[in-house]
Parts: sequence; C-alpha cells; structure tokens
Amino acid sequence: MKKKKVIIVTMTIVLLIVVSYFAFQLVNQNQDIEKAIEQELYELKHTVEDIYAIEFLDNDRVLVFYSWSFPDYSNFGVMELEKTWRGWQFVEAVSNRMEMKNAWLKGVYAEIGDYAILRGPTWASVAKIEIITGDGREYIPDLGRAEWQMWYLILEDEPFEEATFILYDSDGEVLKEEVLEFDLNWPE
Amino acid sequence: MKLSLKYKVLTIVILSIFISAFLYYFGTKARQEQATGEALKDYSYIAREYALDAIYKSTEFPVEVELYPSAHTEAILERWKAISDRYPELDYPESAIEARDWIEVHKAFEDTDLLNGVIRKMYKDATVTSEGLGVSYITLLDYIFYQKYEASNIEDVVIDLGIESPREEE
Repeated sequence: MKKKKVIIVTMTIVLLIVVSYFAFQLVNQNQDIEKAIEQELYELKHTVEDIYAIEFLDNDRVLVFYSWSFPDYSNFGVMELEKTWRGWQFVEAVSNRMEMKNAWLKGVYAEIGDYAILRGPTWASVAKIEIITGDGREYIPDLGRAEWQMWYLILEDEPFEEATFILYDSDGEVLKEEVLEFDLNWPE
Repeated sequence: MKLSLKYKVLTIVILSIFISAFLYYFGTKARQEQATGEALKDYSYIAREYALDAIYKSTEFPVEVELYPSAHTEAILERWKAISDRYPELDYPESAIEARDWIEVHKAFEDTDLLNGVIRKMYKDATVTSEGLGVSYITLLDYIFYQKYEASNIEDVVIDLGIESPREEE
C-alpha cells in the first residue's frame, strides 16, 4: 500500500517535469525573434533604439545590428543572441560611438563570438559599397537602413587593417572613394 | 485513512521548508533583477553622455559591462578641461578619468549651483552680452557634452575667452 503511494507520487513528479520540459520547448520554438530582440534591447536600457538588420548565422544564432541614443542615434551596436532551452538569450553586445558630421562613412572593427565584424554608418544616398583590401580581396558589405544607413561585413577570413571603400549611388556612379583604417586590437 | 500526528508535523515542516526556499529564491531574484536594471541604466546613461564605446558581456546578475573612451569622448574631455583650467571651481577629476571610473567622473556635475556660478562668471568675463538669452548650467553642459551652440551665444563666449579658437571665415 505504502509502496504503491510512493510510486504514484514519483511518477506524477516525473511526468510533470517531462511535460513542462516539452511545454518550454514548444513555447521557445515559436518564440518570435523580433519580440526577443526587442526584449533584449530593452534589457540593455538603451534610450530608443533602431534596428538595421537581423542576420542569422545558423538556426540558433543571430546577430542584430542597431543604433541607439536619442536624438542622434550615433551609438552603433551589434548584439549576438543564441537560442537555448530557455529561448533566445543574450550572448554579447558591442556598441561604438560614431558621429557622422562631415564624414562620408565611418567604420570600426569588433570581435563578437567567433566572428570579426566591420560596421559603421554611411549616408542614405549610398546604394552600394565595394571594399578592396591591400592584399587584393574584394567584399560587398550589406546595407541596413533605419535612422541612418549602416554598412556591415561579417568576416569569415582574415581581418584587414586598411581598405579602400568605393561608394556608389543607385545609378552605379562613384560617389566617393575613401580609405578606412581598423584597429584590430580594439579595445586593448 | 488517518495520518498519525508524526506524519502531519513532518508534512507541515517539509511544506514550510519548500515555501521558504521558494520565497527566498524569488525574493533574491527580484532584488538582483532590480540591481541589474539600475546598473544597466547607469551604464547606458554614462555611455551616452560621454560618447563611450561599450562591450556588454552579461546583462544578467552580475552585470558585466566594459566602457572605453571614443574619439568623441576625448573631445568632450578637452572642452571640459579648457573651461576647468580657467575656472578651477569646475572640477576636472583627472585621476578618476585616468582610472576610467566614469560614474565617479560624472559626480563633478552634480552641483548645479556651482555650474550656474561658472557659466555666469564666463558671461561676466566675456565681452559679449547674454541679454535676453536664458543662460543656465544647461548651456554649460550642452556645450561640454554636445558642443551645442544653439539657443545661446556660448560659441561667442568661448571664443572670446580663448577657450576655443576663432571660427575660420568661410
């Protein structure tokens, strides 16, 4: 009699744990990534932020490009989120102050997780950017638009310290050619 | 089924332990969350005001944020130091700045009466007039932090006092 009771209680507890685990999984499977990003940016307590791009590295990892700081939105950030059994979770974020003023474009280098990321603001009239490194590599960075326009490059090979940036308008005309330098040792 | 007194007491004790553990856990968690939120708010405020770069390593308890000066931070510090050199009552906390203790650094701006005194003195020493302009410590803070000239003639004042070099004619 007593043994039976113990078994029933134990079985109930085990069943509850299993059911709640799957319930968690189900809820997290369907968690809206945009809501999760909004929540994580809210956690950072940035004053009014703007999202430029969301890049999935794989099914469980995402990079979010944003800028914040009212009213100028000159703090440019990149945040990594990872999907765990608790849903989308914050991994790391890097924010850099880049004021446009008279510049055509700005850019910084940062490492986040295993990735090297180059990013910065540029003017809205820029429709395409071509990057040519000193050792002849060529890249076309992505552009994301919100309050400003942000270019970004998720680099999988060797980072570079210096490169020529060619800015094109929507007609394919060259607007400007500029050399940017990157501090690969930042923030040391 | 009748439970003996021993079992009843045991059940109550076990239940109380569970409830206390539960309350303790959630009480601590709520306090940690509040502390976390406040710390992140401070970091966000300081990073914005001083134009700092920031690396957020943990947004949960314990919060881990690293702040680094940007080129724009250096410009803020330069404007601040130039005024402090001439009006030493406006403290320029060199050691806290070197130690990058930004929250400590920001304490220099706590006393608004002192700031009002500094800006009033600046206008008194300058040969330009501030008549009709609502000049206050906000004017001073706007100049130091954002190099904002609008809504006052602070630009003429800082040039007049030699804090900033004259504008180049266009």
